[in-house]
Amino acid sequence: MSEQARPYAVLMEALDDIGERTDTTLRCIDHEPEVWESRMQTTCECLSKAGVLDNLERRHAEDRLGESIYVRFPVQTRSVLTVAHTLMERGLFTEQALRDKMRSVRARLEEE
Amino acid sequence: MATPKFQVGDKVRIKDRTTLFHTRTQKYIRKRVGTVVEHRPEWVIPEDEAWDRMETGRKEPFYVIRFKQTDLWPDYTGFAQDTLESEASESWLESVKG
Amino acid sequence: MGKQHGDHHDGHNTFEVSSKVSEFEILELAIRELAIEKGIFSADDHRKFAEWAEAKGPHGGSKLVAKAWSDPAFKQRLLENGVEACKEVGIDWLQPTGVGTPSDYTYFYVLENTPQVHNVLVCTLCSCYPRPVLGMSPDWYRTPSYRRRMVRRPREVLAEFGLHLPSDIEVRVHDSNQKSRFMVMPMRPEGTEGWSEEQLARIVTRDTMIGVALPRADRTSDAGSLAEQVR
Repeated sequence: MSEQARPYAVLMEALDDIGERTDTTLRCIDHEPEVWESRMQTTCECLSKAGVLDNLERRHAEDRLGESIYVRFPVQTRSVLTVAHTLMERGLFTEQALRDKMRSVRARLEEE
Repeated sequence: MATPKFQVGDKVRIKDRTTLFHTRTQKYIRKRVGTVVEHRPEWVIPEDEAWDRMETGRKEPFYVIRFKQTDLWPDYTGFAQDTLESEASESWLESVKG
Repeated sequence: MGKQHGDHHDGHNTFEVSSKVSEFEILELAIRELAIEKGIFSADDHRKFAEWAEAKGPHGGSKLVAKAWSDPAFKQRLLENGVEACKEVGIDWLQPTGVGTPSDYTYFYVLENTPQVHNVLVCTLCSCYPRPVLGMSPDWYRTPSYRRRMVRRPREVLAEFGLHLPSDIEVRVHDSNQKSRFMVMPMRPEGTEGWSEEQLARIVTRDTMIGVALPRADRTSDAGSLAEQVR
């Protein structure tokens, strides 16, 4: 499987918002999941069920990408980064389409 | 239902098959000897399940195998009585004499 | 009690109150909406599954253990047939799809800790986890570091969680690499004589059912033990 070795800029830009990964032991990697994290797990289940991105395949991609090009991100962001990265790489949507969508989502959420 | 070939208490070795296809039998238990401690229901083996052949895929009995940690890792840092259990389908197992 | 462990907490402080929407919230929603627009799944598929997933947490497992501690006949049923016994506390392993979730299977076994054997869970292959009884897995459970090392150096990993087991106990690691899902039934701790099931359930935390902690009469949360340890 060919995998883009470079991180997507649209994803790297989110790093400032959450901050660099700081955990040093397993025990530090523990927090109450936020709503978006559990929603993301649900999206993962839906993608797997639809046959677009199998759960096991995604986990392995999370390991690879999370320990390499997205290593600076906290562990709880691995699913969302990996899914976005993989779907863009497979051409399901482009980086520009994701950027545009994020802009419209942001406008909507901040207005509420 | 096929009758399980191995019984609880049997010593078995995990085969070292090439895995060109999807498998869930982990590398670290291959070639290792363990003891059957439980039977599990028959199920389509992961090697077929991965191809979505849930209806037509090959079914096999599954087993829980218990290994001594010191048999898995030569440099194991715990104690002699520590163990690990993993599950494997029948075709991954071969019987060990004695 | 230490709420002051923010430094060790991924930089995502709990006391940082802001009305700003997080980038990750936006990113998650953007991905989901793009997938829905492409017809990969429907908003309704997502909503149904989310409702199921978000109602889940470790409380189902806590209830099972508390009931088993209080009722020996139930404990027997739970150990003999996990899936059936779960129905007695309202947990149906076939939900939400009729055949379980896409990544959870319907074989469920409860592993009983004894004075001789301490059980602990891991999934080296991915991160299989008994979600119908324990909810979403903790982040550390999904890390390669936990998955790789728990099978190889279990006592070292347990020590990182503050759990030091005596040398005469057998540490038994369960790699849930196939169809079965597991949960650990810890031993009932001292100081809980005469407690109700509700009281007992409160000390059966997620970590005690994964096997990286032991229940204590004076401890009702895993986060509490984290704070204690960081200090």
